[in-house]
Amino acid sequence: MRRRTFLEMAALGAGSLLLPRTVRAMGDASRIAVGQLEHGGRWNPRPSALRRLCWEITQRTSIEAAGDSVPVRLGRPGIHRLPFLYLAGDGALPPFAEPELAALRRHLQYGGFLLVDAADGSDGTGFDASVRRELQRLLPASPLGRIPREHVLYKSFYLLDHQGGRVLTKPWLEGQALSGRLAVVYSQNDLGGAWARGPLGEWEYDCSPGGEAQRETAFRIGVNLAMYALCTDYKDDAVHLPFILKRRS
Amino acid sequence: MGAPYNDWRVALLSPWPRWVLAALAALALASVLASWKGLRGEARAGRRAALLALRTLSALCALFLVAEPALQLLQTARVKNRLALLVDRSRSMNFPLEPGGESRAQAAGRLLSDGRPDLDRLGSEVSVEAYGFDKDAWPADLSALARGGEASGGRTDILGAIRAVAGGPSASGRRLAGVLLVSDGADNAGLADGLSAQARAELRALGVPVNVVAAGSEAPRDLAVERVAVDDFAFVRSTLTVEATLRARGFGDESVQVVLRREGSIVAQTTVRLEAGKERYTVPLSFVPDTTGTFVLTVATPVLPGEAVAENNSRSFVLRVIRDRVRVLLVAGRPSWDVRFLRGLLKQDPNVDLVSFFILRTAGDNPGPQDELSLIPFPVAEILGEQLHTFDAVLFVNFAYQPYRALDIERYLPNLREYVKGGGAFAMVGGDQSFGEGHYAATPLAEVLPVDPAEGLGSTAELFRPRLTAEGRRHPVTSLVAGEGQNEAAWGALPALPGLNRTLPLPAAAGARVLLEAPSVLANGAPAPVVAVREVGTGRTLAVATDSAWYWGFVAAEEGQGNRAYQRFWNNALRWLVRDPELTPLQIQPDRPTVDPGEPVGLSVAVRGPDYGPAPGARVSAELVSDEGKVVQRTEGVAGADGVARLEIPAPPPGAYKVSAQAERPGAAPERAAAAVSVRSSGPEDADATPRPGLLRAIAEATGGTFASLPQRGLPALRLADPEVVEVGRRRDVPIWNRWWYLALLATTLGAEWLLRRRWGYW
Repeated sequence: MRRRTFLEMAALGAGSLLLPRTVRAMGDASRIAVGQLEHGGRWNPRPSALRRLCWEITQRTSIEAAGDSVPVRLGRPGIHRLPFLYLAGDGALPPFAEPELAALRRHLQYGGFLLVDAADGSDGTGFDASVRRELQRLLPASPLGRIPREHVLYKSFYLLDHQGGRVLTKPWLEGQALSGRLAVVYSQNDLGGAWARGPLGEWEYDCSPGGEAQRETAFRIGVNLAMYALCTDYKDDAVHLPFILKRRS
Repeated sequence: MGAPYNDWRVALLSPWPRWVLAALAALALASVLASWKGLRGEARAGRRAALLALRTLSALCALFLVAEPALQLLQTARVKNRLALLVDRSRSMNFPLEPGGESRAQAAGRLLSDGRPDLDRLGSEVSVEAYGFDKDAWPADLSALARGGEASGGRTDILGAIRAVAGGPSASGRRLAGVLLVSDGADNAGLADGLSAQARAELRALGVPVNVVAAGSEAPRDLAVERVAVDDFAFVRSTLTVEATLRARGFGDESVQVVLRREGSIVAQTTVRLEAGKERYTVPLSFVPDTTGTFVLTVATPVLPGEAVAENNSRSFVLRVIRDRVRVLLVAGRPSWDVRFLRGLLKQDPNVDLVSFFILRTAGDNPGPQDELSLIPFPVAEILGEQLHTFDAVLFVNFAYQPYRALDIERYLPNLREYVKGGGAFAMVGGDQSFGEGHYAATPLAEVLPVDPAEGLGSTAELFRPRLTAEGRRHPVTSLVAGEGQNEAAWGALPALPGLNRTLPLPAAAGARVLLEAPSVLANGAPAPVVAVREVGTGRTLAVATDSAWYWGFVAAEEGQGNRAYQRFWNNALRWLVRDPELTPLQIQPDRPTVDPGEPVGLSVAVRGPDYGPAPGARVSAELVSDEGKVVQRTEGVAGADGVARLEIPAPPPGAYKVSAQAERPGAAPERAAAAVSVRSSGPEDADATPRPGLLRAIAEATGGTFASLPQRGLPALRLADPEVVEVGRRRDVPIWNRWWYLALLATTLGAEWLLRRRWGYW
């Protein structure tokens, strides 16, 4: 065993001892796992990102998140066991086959959620150009649109008024709605790059221009996205309104 | 040799058809015109007139001979038509003609006895037929009518009575020459709202003068609840306004109190100031129904001194109070896919008013500064305390009461238990914080749960396929599709579930039923319940011992089944929990919500067995319970092959009643159901006995009859149509055309014209 490998394993072991509570859910199926979509391009540019996000979600909220993401391929059975899907990429994305898009469309129509993350921070080229093309094919009746700041997504757990990510290509998120609910959320700011953390605890990428505050916001957005996927418009219920208004004032 | 001929008329005996005669007449006219045309050039008027006269005479003679006229000798007789004497015998005729005087019926009787000589005289022209009438007309003895005894008819139908004597089954074969109607005009049938254009046209079409003698013109002193305007149903916890119309006659300025009672207790009241000269008052009475169900409500006023009718001072009606929407409280221990899909389903349902609370962080979580979060404190005292009774159903989804020490949720569990026993609905849905895992075994909530959440049984993450139990096969909660076989197949086609809380079924005596079980997951050696239901007190509970029921929707959708099974299951469950009337095993339906005095109360009682199929042979009893809670009538019956028992309860006294039915079902606990029915305190005849001389005058005018008012000395002048008709007995034809001199006249005129034309040079 190489010295570096040993050190990494030792660090992981120490990390697991620091877990503040035991996982209590009734098996893996009861934990909230994210399905990461495999595709013909670079589909997993930030391999540690979702693992770290799940860890943060578990630390910060009552959600019982799974330890890591689950790679899934459209068109193969099983994607409905993972209502939260994550589509990331670095560079251009080859078109999905029509049956693959149909499977994803069905998933979303029946209540699934898709987070799309441009790891290359592209705008009009690369991943951005190809994923916009695919999302248009996916839900042609629901074009991508900017998610307004008043949307419940920005108050589903944290009260947020700015964006996070490895970069800040766009100071907003975009989304596609189905039946009044966001079914697709798209970030061009490489959320995964901000979440990614190496086995020794170091952040894999710097966040610019906002540094660590921007990284924290990226995690908060990740938590809010998970909360939104699980609770949808719960925070729009009338009972929450006075509290939220008070804290935002 | 019969009676001599006493009449004659001219007849044509020609065998030729009429159109041939008409053609010949036209020909004759044409020959006269031709002659006139030919003579236009003749300057001497004498010649022209002579020739034209001869031609005209010839044409007339020819026509006379062709038409063969004759005298028809007739033997005729004159026949008398009928005069129908219609005397009102409805109860309103018992009211005094004038305050303190004789009754209208007595005055009418006196008219007939005083007018007897006039009637006898009329007998030489018409045949007088006497009828009494109320809602029907019937032949009556004139002497009996003239006695003016107490009238007893429960309705007045003037138009129907006239119709009946004019041409209905009670009419004799002879024509009706006229009607003499003696009534107060207090019609409560076809003319209740006055003489409509249609009724007027119908009366005119009869062609019979209706001569009217009106009995009474002054309304008696009376206060009545004339009308109550309210919808058939109202929403619970929403203000309902009942609009009562009071009719007050003969009162000066005084105040009366109007109350609205619900089964004995006053729910609204107000004071109305009566004014002299004002007859009708609209009185709004508002209240907020606090429970669902069917209730009898009564609007009532006190009976004031000197009132003509006491029975019309109250009016009852049946009100069904329903939920506007089912109000559901959902408390989730943590966000999960199970609660996410359940909340989505409930939020989409327009019939559900959903209040949800999620525990988004626990004491062990570290999300950062509180003021950067959107979290609110869990208002446990409010929702599980004071507001609990406002919810129709409470759902705990993977919710533990223990971890939140500061909230002291445990303190509210007895309250939740009592809420269920008192008619509330509660469901516990599985997860690592539910049932035994949530340590509910030793809590008051365990007393009402449909399973035993015993400690130490734990949970399993292994995949299992739920199986319908015998009771689950026909229970409405687990009915995904119609038909037992198809339903079982539908359950069998659903995806296997991962994750089950192990619980124990309750003993049969507890009233709980396991509907779905996991054959591959054992708890104490027996299949663990997956879905169970229970009736506790008057409430209901449901247990879904898994946190993966969402697989029946979202995961099933991937396999091409859609999410219908998931929706159907939860819709069924919610409807059953809140006792949707369509899902109760005993349903009672009165034939009519309000019956007239003296009429029996008809009921249909539908009974379903424990398997929710029809329960033929089930013994059913029903009782009428009065406002004071006293049983006034009781009856029993047996359900037929369709599970429905038809019951009839003998006429109860006027009032408002709760109808309580109970069914003894073989192998099942007795079921109870309730409805409401009211027996009118007064029929329409007593409710308004006001004389309506205006209506009677309009009838007389419409038909060309005369109008008079009681008291009358003797019969008024009557107008009759065709008191007699002529009927023909024998006839004989005497020809008048077959005289020789008619032919000679024709030959002479023709010959004369020919001679003159020759002489004057016209040929």
